Amino acid sequence: MTTPFLKTLLAATAGLVMTATIQAQAADPVKIAYNGDISGSPSAESGQIGVLGIGAAVEDINKRGGVLGRPLEFLIRDDLGQPPKAIQNMTDLIDREKVSVVFGPTNSGNALAWKHIANQKKMPVLVSSASSTAITEGPASGNYLFRVSMVDREQAAALLAYVKKNPEAKSVGFFVETTGYGQAGLKDLEQIAALHGIKPAATEKFDARDTDMTSQLAKAKAAGVDTLVVWAQAAPLGHLVRSMEKLDYFPKVFTTWAASFSGFPEVAGPKLMEWPVFLTTSSERKSDASKALFERIGPKLANPSMFWAASQAYDTVLLWAAAAEQAGSLKGEEVRGALESLNKPVAGMVKTYEKPFSTAQHEGLTASDYHWSRWKDGKVVDFNDPVLDGLQPADFKK
Amino acid sequence: MLQAIIGGLTLGSVYALIALGFNLTYTTTRTLNFAQGDFVSVGAFVGLGTVGVLTAALGADAVGYVWFYALAAVAAALAMGVLGLPLYLAAIRPFAGKPGMSWVVSTIGFGIVLQSAALSLWGLGARMLAPPFGDEVFRVGEVGFRSQELVVMALAFAILGGFDIAMRRTALGRCMRAVALNRDAAALMGIDVPRVMALAFLASSALAGLSGVLVAPILSASLFMGVIIALKGFSAAIIGGLTNPRGCMAGGLLIGLVESLTALWSAQWREIMVFLLVILVLAMAPNGMFGRKLVEKV
Repeated sequence: MTTPFLKTLLAATAGLVMTATIQAQAADPVKIAYNGDISGSPSAESGQIGVLGIGAAVEDINKRGGVLGRPLEFLIRDDLGQPPKAIQNMTDLIDREKVSVVFGPTNSGNALAWKHIANQKKMPVLVSSASSTAITEGPASGNYLFRVSMVDREQAAALLAYVKKNPEAKSVGFFVETTGYGQAGLKDLEQIAALHGIKPAATEKFDARDTDMTSQLAKAKAAGVDTLVVWAQAAPLGHLVRSMEKLDYFPKVFTTWAASFSGFPEVAGPKLMEWPVFLTTSSERKSDASKALFERIGPKLANPSMFWAASQAYDTVLLWAAAAEQAGSLKGEEVRGALESLNKPVAGMVKTYEKPFSTAQHEGLTASDYHWSRWKDGKVVDFNDPVLDGLQPADFKK
Repeated sequence: MLQAIIGGLTLGSVYALIALGFNLTYTTTRTLNFAQGDFVSVGAFVGLGTVGVLTAALGADAVGYVWFYALAAVAAALAMGVLGLPLYLAAIRPFAGKPGMSWVVSTIGFGIVLQSAALSLWGLGARMLAPPFGDEVFRVGEVGFRSQELVVMALAFAILGGFDIAMRRTALGRCMRAVALNRDAAALMGIDVPRVMALAFLASSALAGLSGVLVAPILSASLFMGVIIALKGFSAAIIGGLTNPRGCMAGGLLIGLVESLTALWSAQWREIMVFLLVILVLAMAPNGMFGRKLVEKV
């Protein structure tokens, strides 16, 4: 009685094993990787969420048959926010794992630390979170870094375009933290301000660990500053608005996407967090695809306002897959060429990308794609006002 | 100006608490607990956890929260104090009173273990601990301050004063001072020296934990906040004199004031001024402003 059953079972197993082997031969998985901080620094939050976004995109692409008929295999490497570790991961992924594309990193400094490796080894990299302007500036011999994220220079351009257009902004102050992030931001701000003919009445700096900015604010107040453009991470930004409350001095505050990171509402508290106006790539979910993605990964997010990190990361995978399909190859050079001349629009989460990149332009998102946002009742919502409605593309000097 | 003085004294009083912790362990064991910073940050998170658990279990109104906060402060002080004992046993006792610097590495190592464990438990983001008496800004003339700044100053001064009296008036305090003065003589007089040393570590760790809960509503708690506080506390102890508890307290307040008054002029010069002050004091008085020269037998 057991024998026929056993035989059937054996045959079925053998059949299964054979099909699996044949499939594996036909479709060796394509390795793709995230190399970025998912545990070490405060910005690791955007790395963790980015990984969720890439994971979702990989699932979706595999469901529709993979890339060039091969399934994707997603590797995750944590660089702990440390450049040496990031470099080590990068060479390991390229030389040993033989990945076809690298996504990430989380921190700008790490991208700057290894971008020469990507360029030398012709490894396409799609950046979904780091925002430093210099990341996508590459050598003439071939630049393999592309980005779908905020860019510091573009943010500065957008913020100052608003300030210039706003008749109520009569005296502007720049407030930046003393980290590399703040210093680079200040450089961008000063250069773009010069293009607009804006002269800041006060430029003040503070340490990223500072918790009391009353002395800097008192100086701005004395200088009659009515509008602050702030370049700082989430926590010091929170302390800045708390210090403003102490002085009872509330100039208008315009700042970067840092205000959407969890640290800002946490430190600023429910009332003060609604004061600054800042930029994001997607404050409210409008498209059905983006709503569906949010339903999938939203429950895993400690701070749903950081959903942009998932959307951008999701889009980087779609863009790379589209380029690989167009090139009919996974070779770095050919994929780069295809990315620079995508001939079909790619419907992503943030927007539909129509020829997003070219040889000279490696930014998938620019100032006019940004959303003006603010916190309201614990959520990031769109910010609207007449000044914004009047902004023209020509106003975005950069 | 007055604004800066209030801010400076608030942080200064916390530096003073930490400096006192350094003083306690240094005088009794000739070692310093370089894990103090991690005790501050972890203490803050123990406080946050306690408040969270209590609020979830009992629900919070404004009056209840004051008690929750007080309990959180006690819990943090107790938890960190108790953690001070394994630190003493594992990282100090084998090396106490002996020449050599092994304890430097062992205390730093203990701090790293503590911080890493806490990171895996609480993650790396900054959290705000709600202050017990509300977060509104009070305004006196041009100067605005929050209730927590007064709470920190009042409590820190009370604790510093209490320690000062306890060290002089109570039997335990006298034991500690005796051990500090001459360990061998104290042992011969029947004082249980290892117990006093362990108590010094318990007290200094508890002070660190308590400081964490005190400053969390002002600075926002993060597991990285302790390092800089402990460094300033250590500088305060060096300036005031490691051997003199009152000197340590004065050193803390001085550093707090120098910091905030420098920030009035230029925030970037703040740390430079603080450490210039340390160098200046050390050059003029190598044992600190109120320190006593110690002869180390090698």
